[in-house]
Amino acid sequence: MAVLLRGLRAGRALRGLSKVTVPVATSPHCTGVRRGFHRAVLLQVQKESDPDDSSSTTTSSSSSSSSYHQHYQAHPSESEPASSASEQETPTPNTSYTDQAGEESEDYETEEQLQARILTAALEFVPQHGWSVEAISAAAETLGLSSASAGMFTNGAGDLVLHFIAHCNAQLTETLAEQHNQVQLGQAEKKTTAEFLRDAVEIRLRMLIPYIDTWPQAMSILLLPHNIPDSLKHLSTMVDDIWYYAGDRSTDLNWYTRRAALTGIYNTTELVMLQDSSPDFQDTWAFLDNRINDIVNMANTAKQAQATGEAVVQGLMGAAVTLKNLTGMNQRR
Amino acid sequence: MAAPLKTFGRKVLCGYCHVLHKGLLCRIVASSPSSLVSGSRGYSAGSEEKSTHFGFETVPEGQKAERVYKVFENVAQKYDVMNDAMSMGIHRLWKDTLLHIMNPQPGIRLLDTAGGTGDISFRFLDYVQSQRDRQRRRAARTNQTVSWQQIAANYTSSDTGPGESRAVVCDINKEMLKVGKQRAEQQGYNTGLSWVVGDAEELPFDDNQFDVYTIAFGIRNVTHIEQALQEALRVLKPGGRFMCLEFSRVSNPLLSRFYDAYSFQLIPVLGEVIAGDWKSYQYLVESIRRFPDQETFKGMIEDAGFFRVQYFNLTGGVVAIHSGFKL
Repeated sequence: MAVLLRGLRAGRALRGLSKVTVPVATSPHCTGVRRGFHRAVLLQVQKESDPDDSSSTTTSSSSSSSSYHQHYQAHPSESEPASSASEQETPTPNTSYTDQAGEESEDYETEEQLQARILTAALEFVPQHGWSVEAISAAAETLGLSSASAGMFTNGAGDLVLHFIAHCNAQLTETLAEQHNQVQLGQAEKKTTAEFLRDAVEIRLRMLIPYIDTWPQAMSILLLPHNIPDSLKHLSTMVDDIWYYAGDRSTDLNWYTRRAALTGIYNTTELVMLQDSSPDFQDTWAFLDNRINDIVNMANTAKQAQATGEAVVQGLMGAAVTLKNLTGMNQRR
Repeated sequence: MAAPLKTFGRKVLCGYCHVLHKGLLCRIVASSPSSLVSGSRGYSAGSEEKSTHFGFETVPEGQKAERVYKVFENVAQKYDVMNDAMSMGIHRLWKDTLLHIMNPQPGIRLLDTAGGTGDISFRFLDYVQSQRDRQRRRAARTNQTVSWQQIAANYTSSDTGPGESRAVVCDINKEMLKVGKQRAEQQGYNTGLSWVVGDAEELPFDDNQFDVYTIAFGIRNVTHIEQALQEALRVLKPGGRFMCLEFSRVSNPLLSRFYDAYSFQLIPVLGEVIAGDWKSYQYLVESIRRFPDQETFKGMIEDAGFFRVQYFNLTGGVVAIHSGFKL
């Protein structure tokens, strides 16, 4: 069942939305871009999933070239169904060529990898320039490219924010998978659901702390109409990941209610965090605690109400039968 | 006596033919009146002189550049007026869109090839200046506690122009550059602008010089488009952007009919009335039809070595902006 869910999610990711918004009929255009990409691939793409590289998440994203949307899959075992399907399309001749220096120069990577590098470098300039094309231009210059190459990102600031979110989600998934492994190996204790959710949301929100001053700008960029589908997709996959590692294997209405609840908790906690000025955001974590307790209480209350309701109905039925007996209506003549 | 002479003559001519078939002596052969030679002259002449299109005419390649030069020499004085009349002012929107897509940051160098009267360069300088102003306003807003030194520095610095950004207008036609310089003086662009005479197929610049290379409504006049693209790749810095604004294929059949009718019936008439030059504007509309369509041109740009090539159709395909990066 879990495998089915993962496969569904991977399929959803591969059929991801097109990121390059060009006001032109896309079908001939898509093949052209793919042709350009294949030419780039032929320029000796030789990087595989490199364990030394901290951005191991980006390599598997670059191999899934069929979708323009970069879907970050952190854990290698999880990315099997996704990347194996996409790797059949891209012939990566990484073993036949040897680079002289043994390191990656600009010619030996794909456009997507270069874009990922630029966006990662641009995160450093965000406190100064905000989430904007200027940050991307400044980053391009540090990488040795002209600042005009920021024009590659047709979505501009939206690309930068979505890249950051994908990066954070990938890190979160990695951390959760590690914790899961440790529990399985018996090195750590299994947490209760409430505790697990609380920790996961806290980990994820802590990644925003370096950019908390400019985060309102980022949120407003994510709410732009052309960014909403992508941002919703990132949010929903993140919530799905958290619930999966929390141990949720439900297949009924619970699946939807749980994810809706966690989405609500995450969004409201994020908003509280934006205007929180307590030391180390203690107020935010207290708010998060309360919301999670609310959800847990509501779940318990719902169960109790159901049990009570059943008991009440049984009582009423009993009273009705007694009445009928007393009045003699139950007898057969 | 006649017979050996005839055979001797035939031998000489056969010797001639031998050399002819190497294909290098066609010009010498062209002056020979012999019929035997003229047959081979036709063969070798075809393999030597390549021809290209000049509007709907076919001309030898060597001549096209000259004829294009004459066209623009004639129209230079009335170029801007005619642009407004022919496109009903929409060409300004097209050029503005080009700048918006380019989104230049302050401090970059632009090469405006076939820039002629300087429309793109002027817009570039304006755009860059407004970006600088915006950045300085934003910096001032966040910097609420200003020190005395900063205030003093503000008094002394009077940089309201484009700053470090540079635009170089390059055109093969001196008349167009002359008109451009006059316009620049009139409109007050004195800093950050250079005027250079040069051929797009052989630019007089070093490698890796420019951040953005634009060619607006000029590449269809170039004889060897691939060479122009190669030159663009050469002079651009790594990460630099190639942008081409050019008339292209209209896909909508209804719009296409109106556009064709407008182009062939109205534009040469306008040319005659306003500029007194029917043929130049006939060349203009014909050269538009001979230019490859969006996808083909995109393929050519990719073949030249640019990455992330994409195009944006404006006004339903009447005009297309192609953009590629040197990565």
